[in-house]
Amino acid sequence: MTWSAFKLSLLVVSVATVAVTLAGTALAFVLARREFRGKEALDSLVTLPMVLPPTVTGYYLILVLGRQGLLGKYLFALTGWTVAFTWEAAAIAAGVMALPLMVKSARAALESIDRRYELVSFSLGKSELETFFRVTLPLASRGILAGVVLSFARALGEFGATLMLAGNIRGKTQTMPLAIYEAFISGEDQKAQLMAVILTLTSIAVIYLTNVLSRPPKAA
Amino acid sequence: MLNVAIKKQFASNGRASFALDAAFTANQGITVLFGASGSGKTTTLRSIAGMVTPDEGRISLGDAVYFDSVARVNLAMQKRRVGFVFQDYLLFPHLTATENVAYGAKARHDQHRRQHVDDLLKLVGVDYAAGRRPAELSGGEQQRVALARALASDPAILLLDEPLSAVDVTTRSRLLDEIVEVQRKTAIPFLYVTHSPADAVRIGDSLLVMAEGSIVQEGKPLEVFNAPLNVPAARVVGTENVLVGRVAGHQPEEGISIVELGACRMVIPYSHLAEGSRVTLGIRAEDIIISRERVSRTSARNLLAGNVRHLLRDGESIELVADCGVDLKVRITPQAEHALELAPGVEIYLLIKASSCHILS
Repeated sequence: MTWSAFKLSLLVVSVATVAVTLAGTALAFVLARREFRGKEALDSLVTLPMVLPPTVTGYYLILVLGRQGLLGKYLFALTGWTVAFTWEAAAIAAGVMALPLMVKSARAALESIDRRYELVSFSLGKSELETFFRVTLPLASRGILAGVVLSFARALGEFGATLMLAGNIRGKTQTMPLAIYEAFISGEDQKAQLMAVILTLTSIAVIYLTNVLSRPPKAA
Repeated sequence: MLNVAIKKQFASNGRASFALDAAFTANQGITVLFGASGSGKTTTLRSIAGMVTPDEGRISLGDAVYFDSVARVNLAMQKRRVGFVFQDYLLFPHLTATENVAYGAKARHDQHRRQHVDDLLKLVGVDYAAGRRPAELSGGEQQRVALARALASDPAILLLDEPLSAVDVTTRSRLLDEIVEVQRKTAIPFLYVTHSPADAVRIGDSLLVMAEGSIVQEGKPLEVFNAPLNVPAARVVGTENVLVGRVAGHQPEEGISIVELGACRMVIPYSHLAEGSRVTLGIRAEDIIISRERVSRTSARNLLAGNVRHLLRDGESIELVADCGVDLKVRITPQAEHALELAPGVEIYLLIKASSCHILS
């Protein structure tokens, strides 16, 4: 149980972190650099999982992605596949829970950059895309990396929403936090302890990394 | 040739609203856009670069139309070929000096590109610091790199927004000469924004005076400074006459130096400047005395003969422009105007104390 949960957690967290990094940075860029109607509404929607109880977020995810869900029913009609009770569901739940942290960090990092750096790049004939990758992203990289680390940590600890959308199927959707819960409930204290220690060590490493990344670079 | 005729209204959030209504042309060489802060210089510059969109008007450089509200043209910044140098350099902090300049260089053959970047760093005199990051460069070095970076993209015009206001005085003086030299070597027209009269006179081939969003006078820098045509222009250029000349000799035992200003010679307090060196003198308009007769035996060391060119009344005082070979502004009271029967064309003598002539940095 320990080993398979660890492997599954690793898979779920990796997929969620990569997806959240890409989507979160893109969302943050749009929120930081563009003016459009409904901008604050979009920000609120993305941030909501941070303040809602995770089980409520999970419940909404079922409403949207479940077999009879808002989007899930089309997916099922087209492919005969539904996301609920698969490892992908665990990744989606972890990703949705981590997204607000990523967007908040990346948006703050992007907004702290002097916009005139981008204007200089434009005046040198560089497109918006090239400017983003060669100027904006490097200047915001520390904040974005901090967001990635926080998202990783949030995804690793995800419990409530995962339980709602993916269930707790050993070897299939049972990630570390769920496995700890089950081990503890069924009296396998040693197993629970071992897994708790593993997660604790990982979290300490994450806190350390975040601190290092959010420190300004030392002048040479 | 740069042609600008633009209007832009700025929303008034509680304060008085500001309207930009600027029309001018700029040719080869260095054109200085001069004005107080808040007069619209930077907005004008940003409109040319495409960072600000005017409400209406037209901006073109040669055959290229950058903006035309009637024809609905608004060329993207990337396509304007306008170099921009900011007051605070804005070098990319994550790149070295070389990488900053290379960033601006058009993608060409790698080796050509490297050569091009090296040449530019040499041109602005920072090739010794090529591998350093902006944080390891002084203000003057950063501004030189910023200049090279702007030139690297092969701009059709270079816009400089108060490029020297963040560097120290000695560096500033050197950089002014270097900017002129770079302009002469590259033959790219420069549009240079400043609020410093000394800088404007020193590097400008022509001068545009801006006040409250409009161009109020244009011409050769010295002419504009010493003979403003209207009250707004007179207010912007201030009460200081600015004169450029060469040190012609010293008489230390007499405590004086002689400066040659075109047709006339000026006695100034003794200075250590080398003979033959260029010098910019400032004389305040209220420090000059006017006499209708040639006065002898006076402590004023300078006596210049000339004519009244014109008189401008501004509130309780009058600014008189005298033509003495060079133009000089003189601030007088209306009473003096009446008592001396001063009018355009009248012959006058100007008395200026040596100590009223001070050297501008």
